[in-house]
Amino acid sequence: MTNPYIPMKAEIVSIKTETRDIKTFRLKPLGGKLKFEAGQFVEVSVFGVGEAPISISSDPDVDDYFELSVRRVGSVTGALFKLSEGAIIGVRGPYGRGWPLKESEGMDVLIVGGGCGAAPLRPAILKLLRSRDRYGRIELLYGARTPSDVMYMEEFEAIAEGSGCRVLLTVDTIAPDNRWRYSVGVVTSLFDKISVNPFRSVALVCGPEIMMMYAVRDLLRLGFKPENIYLSMERRMRCGLGFCGHCQIGRKYVCLDGPVFSYSEIAPMPDKIV
Amino acid sequence: MSVVGSMNTFIADLHDLDRLVEVARSRYSVYAPVRRGRGYVFSKIEGMSDTDLRYNRTILPPTKIFHRPKEVLLRFQLADGPEFGEVVEVEPMMIFGVHACDLNAILRLDRFFTRRFEDPYYLARRRGSVVVALNCNGPRDEYCFCASLGTGPTVYGGYDILLTEVRDRMFLVEAGSEIGANLIDEARFRRASMSDMEAKKAVASTAKREFRRYADFRSLSYPVIEVLAHTVWDEEADKCFSCGNCSLVCPTCYCYEIYDTLDMDLNSGFRVRRLDSCQLYGYAEVALGGNFRKSRKARLRHWMVCKFGGAAGGELSSCVGCGRCIFYCPARIDITSVASRLREAV
Repeated sequence: MTNPYIPMKAEIVSIKTETRDIKTFRLKPLGGKLKFEAGQFVEVSVFGVGEAPISISSDPDVDDYFELSVRRVGSVTGALFKLSEGAIIGVRGPYGRGWPLKESEGMDVLIVGGGCGAAPLRPAILKLLRSRDRYGRIELLYGARTPSDVMYMEEFEAIAEGSGCRVLLTVDTIAPDNRWRYSVGVVTSLFDKISVNPFRSVALVCGPEIMMMYAVRDLLRLGFKPENIYLSMERRMRCGLGFCGHCQIGRKYVCLDGPVFSYSEIAPMPDKIV
Repeated sequence: MSVVGSMNTFIADLHDLDRLVEVARSRYSVYAPVRRGRGYVFSKIEGMSDTDLRYNRTILPPTKIFHRPKEVLLRFQLADGPEFGEVVEVEPMMIFGVHACDLNAILRLDRFFTRRFEDPYYLARRRGSVVVALNCNGPRDEYCFCASLGTGPTVYGGYDILLTEVRDRMFLVEAGSEIGANLIDEARFRRASMSDMEAKKAVASTAKREFRRYADFRSLSYPVIEVLAHTVWDEEADKCFSCGNCSLVCPTCYCYEIYDTLDMDLNSGFRVRRLDSCQLYGYAEVALGGNFRKSRKARLRHWMVCKFGGAAGGELSSCVGCGRCIFYCPARIDITSVASRLREAV
């Protein structure tokens, strides 16, 4: 029996600063590859500090390395931020059920991200664009607090340039002297501008749960079906194995049944905002 | 292989059982209910005089012998590394005198820890162990309610050896596995008579009639709105201290926290898991202070619905009617009375 609690070693090969509190770590698994699907997560170990569940943010079709875009919010992410290239950390996984990309073929796709919620969406975006002809319209809406909180900025702008995906960006607030070419307002304020057809479109949503609550409310109003709205839920998955209990939402384990749920699955469950 | 029938049914008094313990002790650490203060605990015994087979219930259930309240998962060191490796502490054990409720809890955790993934720590201890179950001749006290849940008082499978007290301190002994049969064989018990076997049937049929506490948890589940929105949660949450006793003593509560501890040399350390409780404030916390069960009501409701079999663990984390959570609750919250209030609504 292999022990699922024992991590695999991974070397930090590069670190990119995305915003003042988000960095993207490119990791090379040592002694194996990490095969994953868009939307899955790993348990990251910084030994002596602990483990934390982090979404994989890189292209699922690249298996020499994988990337984690991490916001500094606690002890493990804080310790991760102090590491440099060449450092070895532990990783186990991947865990969970990702975005329903296969199931969405032939449909329009609306991607809605907020803050560091762009991280688990990025593998889906890359994957969708690679099989661009299998989908109808694709639109990406992304919102952050301020212009300096926008992650993947150059990448989003490059996607907007070509590749058949409309990109709409917004920030909650801007400083008076700031040069920001895009919208100002919460991400749901971009819903007025969408051109996907709500009746034959899936929505892939990730962000703070309060943002997802408003997004779902508006998407339903626009005509999206509850079973076509997919949310990536954040809970404190301690084990990733369906044992430790912390990630339960009603009858669901976020680590096994999610983290991606359709709204119709998760809506009746208690102890959540969305 | 069928081991049921008179050829494999024996009769033993406490002296005979002493021989069984003696035989087992050459291969296993033998744990049995031992009086500790006003309660009982599963503790190592050397002979039958250390244990009391008429115990009502142990403070901690035997599931927590296999799923330890605290254990090391792996050892690591940071210098030139990190380097790390698993630590699995296994001791071959005989758990002696397990009631039907607690045995059913063990069987549920066996299934729980072998679903999508396998938990090597639980399974290593469990698979290296022997369970001697003990039928109950009725409720052990007024807190027992296994009969209404179908988890007792009589055991129907999942044991290595099964004891039934058919007359005063005389036990019918049955083997449920090859290991159990071999141990019995070595202990050289007398074969049971037809009347001994008839006596066991009589015990089983009278035992379940004596229960005064009753529970019906069917359909008390997430996301049934009548269950979620009931006012009983507000009333009970007003009494609850969020102490976590209920889940600590519960035989089907397995939730745990994982954390690292670093030695004083700041180089070597352990990754540890320790039982956690959904009744504690930090259980449903996420990054940046978010908490999805801030209110005591939400926490109490989650625990009870889980025990009703209506949360993510399903029936594998559901109640077996042992009565511990009622007995050990400092606020006298009673899952059976909450359930009957809810049943009026569904």
